[in-house]
Amino acid sequence: MDRHADSVHRLLLSLGAAPDDAEDALQECFISAWRSAGAFQGGESARAWLFTIARNTLRRQHRRRVGEPAEMESLEVLGAQAGWGSRSDFTQRLAATAEVEWALAQIPAEERRAVVLRDLEGLSSAEAAETLELSLGALKSRLHRGRLHLMAVLRTEESDA
Amino acid sequence: MPDLDRMVGGLRCRDVLELLPEFVDGGLSMEVLGRVTEHLNGCDTCEKFGGEYGELVAFLRAGHNRAPVTSDVRTRLADRMARFWTGENTKAP
Repeated sequence: MDRHADSVHRLLLSLGAAPDDAEDALQECFISAWRSAGAFQGGESARAWLFTIARNTLRRQHRRRVGEPAEMESLEVLGAQAGWGSRSDFTQRLAATAEVEWALAQIPAEERRAVVLRDLEGLSSAEAAETLELSLGALKSRLHRGRLHLMAVLRTEESDA
Repeated sequence: MPDLDRMVGGLRCRDVLELLPEFVDGGLSMEVLGRVTEHLNGCDTCEKFGGEYGELVAFLRAGHNRAPVTSDVRTRLADRMARFWTGENTKAP
């Protein structure tokens, strides 16, 4: 429990749960996990298994389905927003952790979930796709677009600074 | 809009933009990896952007953004699990 509580809590927050809802779902998740421990296949990642339970728990309790954006920017447009072709250097923005956290909260929710699971929590692409109930291709697309959106937000902040 | 149709190393910039995730995650075949590397070596714009993309991913994976749960949340979780294990009411107070 101690080992995975932080990761599960972060996932719940990244899924859009309010702090109180996330805490409630965290408790429900560990109770559900305990109850269904016999179903855990030892070969898979315990954390990925817990993430799936957490996601289902939150869905049962408070899940608000976030639809796909009505119109998605092309990768070309998104790349330009993210700084492709820009001469300015945004690397120094990465030194400010709080700004990256803030920027992460600004990107589309479905992309943020992919970034959180794959890059922050270190799940494999296959594990993240399974947790989010996406195809591997959809997970990779959201991950790439999420990273580009993150760069775009950080770069916007850079130019505003 | 930047020109993403510039051809270097047999790949256009837009191709490299699409392949960046696999390049960072090591998912490219040796042949495609060689072509992307050749493009990056000959295209300053993609080399710079690809470097920034890689730095972002490395930063995220380094764990800078991994805020732990607070001690209060951890304590309440432990309390609730203890009540669950002892068969008491498991509803959150």
